[in-house]
Amino acid sequence: MDYKVNHISYKYSKDGRTVLDDVTFSIEEGKVTAIVGPSGCGKSTLLEILSGVIPALISGGELSGSFDKPSDSLISVVSQNPENQLFGYGVEDAIAFGLENMGIPQAEIASRMDYVLDLLSLQYLRSRSVANLSGGQRQAVCIASVLAMQPDILIMDEPVSSLDPNGKSLVQMVLKQISLDGNTVILVDNNLVWSAGIVDHIIGILGGKVVFDGSKEEFFQDFDLQRKLGVIIPQEVELYRGLAPYFPGLKMFYTVEDGLSQLAGRVETKLFPKNEMQEESEPRSIISVHNLNKVFSDNFHALMDVNANIPEGMVVAVLGQNGSGKTTFVKHLNGLYKPTSGDVRYRGQSMLEKSVAQISKNIILVFQHPEHMLFEETVENELTFCARMQKIPFDQEKITDVLTQYNLLEERDSFPLNLSMGKKHTLTILSVLFSSADVIIFDEPTLGMDAFLMRQLEELIQKLKGEGKTVIIISHEIPMVFRTVDHAIILNKGKKIFQGSRQQMADRDDIFDSIHISMPPAVVMSKALGFGRVCYTVDEFVEEARTLKKGEDE
Amino acid sequence: MDYLKYVDANSFLHKLDPRTKFAFFVAMAVVTSLIKSFVALAFLLVFFIIIWKSCHIGTHILTLLSKLKVLLLFIFFLWLVLGLFQKPAAEGGPIFFQTTFSWVGKQHVFCFDWYDFYKGAVYSLRIFLMIASFYTVLLTTNFSEIILGLRKWHIPYSVAFAIGLIFQIIPITINELQAIMDAQSSRGLEIDKCGWVTKVRNYVTFSFPLLFRVIGKGQSISLAMHYYKLDFSVRRSAYKAIRASRLDTYFIAANVVAIAITIVLRVMFYIPV
Repeated sequence: MDYKVNHISYKYSKDGRTVLDDVTFSIEEGKVTAIVGPSGCGKSTLLEILSGVIPALISGGELSGSFDKPSDSLISVVSQNPENQLFGYGVEDAIAFGLENMGIPQAEIASRMDYVLDLLSLQYLRSRSVANLSGGQRQAVCIASVLAMQPDILIMDEPVSSLDPNGKSLVQMVLKQISLDGNTVILVDNNLVWSAGIVDHIIGILGGKVVFDGSKEEFFQDFDLQRKLGVIIPQEVELYRGLAPYFPGLKMFYTVEDGLSQLAGRVETKLFPKNEMQEESEPRSIISVHNLNKVFSDNFHALMDVNANIPEGMVVAVLGQNGSGKTTFVKHLNGLYKPTSGDVRYRGQSMLEKSVAQISKNIILVFQHPEHMLFEETVENELTFCARMQKIPFDQEKITDVLTQYNLLEERDSFPLNLSMGKKHTLTILSVLFSSADVIIFDEPTLGMDAFLMRQLEELIQKLKGEGKTVIIISHEIPMVFRTVDHAIILNKGKKIFQGSRQQMADRDDIFDSIHISMPPAVVMSKALGFGRVCYTVDEFVEEARTLKKGEDE
Repeated sequence: MDYLKYVDANSFLHKLDPRTKFAFFVAMAVVTSLIKSFVALAFLLVFFIIIWKSCHIGTHILTLLSKLKVLLLFIFFLWLVLGLFQKPAAEGGPIFFQTTFSWVGKQHVFCFDWYDFYKGAVYSLRIFLMIASFYTVLLTTNFSEIILGLRKWHIPYSVAFAIGLIFQIIPITINELQAIMDAQSSRGLEIDKCGWVTKVRNYVTFSFPLLFRVIGKGQSISLAMHYYKLDFSVRRSAYKAIRASRLDTYFIAANVVAIAITIVLRVMFYIPV
């Protein structure tokens, strides 16, 4: 049977604004339904209503309409952050928790645990402690713990937003298995890159209203709607969108292989001037890292003899899987970690004796979670925090300009922690504009961002580069990395395995294979199709494909 | 801030029934609060060191000691200073300086002697052993076992769950505080090279975002309790069962012997403090 969301409207208070307005759609049994929409569109509120949190835990709002389902239906949720969801020290404890709460007998718990661990191929984690799992493994265990309760509907709220590529593939595999097993899944996520192959049905929400209710194929054909909803879509779909007007008969493709097979023979091949491109002059370094070693108190060797140079005035990516040492590496650059041995120099001067605050005048690190950074009473104070700490003069005109440009002027005197997650992110990033630092490090800046915010971030990075600043980014958003950066450092298990320009990086399939990270489809396809140059963006790829397009008669 | 955390290992203490470890803590808390003999307490310390070494948690206890050093030194000097105005309760030790003086019409003695050090050492050692016995249980019992153990003692599940949750949340909260401190210092707030007053003021400042993070965590946890259908009014089942083994018997026997020896030493070498 199907489940029906029936004319649901909701306000958090009687006088508040309407968060959901006459929302109606069906959830098909045994299918994966994705709910998409920009930050603040009402997705999370809808999730709370579907899961029963409203009105069971959040009362006082005005709810009308209904979620039609059998009265004994069990609906459970996998949240963004498994750290806050898993109860129990070991994996077995965490999976058994929900079942024990339901009063399931011990033998039945054991049997269900075996079933979910086999289904999701997680038996190897069974005797591990939750604290020692990677992000992806934790999320997989979280899914297993909820699945063991045999819910009628499983809701997943941005389940991969904080995961590295390995973690994403693990959850992707798990979700695929769940959907093959005939489970009903609702995915609340504005990033469809990882789930495009699994999703069957898409509901688009904008301003609290349903603006799309249809199949994945229909959704991916509606380019305007994708833009309006700020959905992050697979780059393959973006490529199709760009190519379709110039290549009649081209069918939608979701994989690189499919795209290549459709374009094969329709574009000319050019010789790739490989050696010429690899010979690039050595850029001037602003930070140099010499024989850096870091051993933590538990004897974990996080960095091993790392030597690296950060070129001045460039955008530099630090790439690698979780646990490769990326964050440890950048925390040495701003002095949060002191090396066990080795040295870090800024413009030739060692920074080992300086405090983090002193270093921040030159090198500033913006953390992943805005809540760690925001603590002023107003948005304006938060914006100028770095400047005041570093005693840098600033004027009201610049504050107004920045707030206007990034749609924060109305919230100038608001309490920062009351802003939407997207705006909190933007605010923490903007505060570096008022700092004296000429090296800015962003640690996973795209976490939880929709397509609008990501575009804004890319523009900001280019603006900083335009001002002559050096930007260092740690990110798992590989297409964004290739679009934005000039240079990259790749770490694997604490060792530097690559440093070079974007061009050199694009040439090293072997390195990417070894760290299990895929290059963006535009890069892979431009190389495979023998374009004259590597294309890093969809626009570059489309432009090159147009130029190299063979005549129709061929 | 790598402390107050369970240490994942496979030592004999890890394998014990949690109830045995709770009983160990209660027994040691009683013994250390009643016994004020340095020799007896020193023996107990040796007994503890053997346990820590055999369970490979010695480095964690040293970390605890470094965290407690200010408190232990304070206790030591407090009793040392108080002892300056008393004569030794036992004779035989060296007296470094002695005089009398009158204050508010009364005669007082000022005596700096071995006994002042003795009292300081006894009180510091008692506090350390008391805290260390609790910490030993914490290092070797994960919060799921704590809940199981408490339930076996017929503690209501709501109480046992709340206690277990505290031990789950403590390391998370410590990590959050560290992340906030790192984030703020990365933006220019000086927390390393500043005076004590500024440090205290900064901690007050950090408490604000920490409070919001903790409230956020609390909300996430209550949502998760809802998703997992946790209802304290409904009878739960249990997947794991705990059962005492021969190891528990040996450990209890070793403790009984150690406590007996401690009592004998206390009787033999007692100096009133």
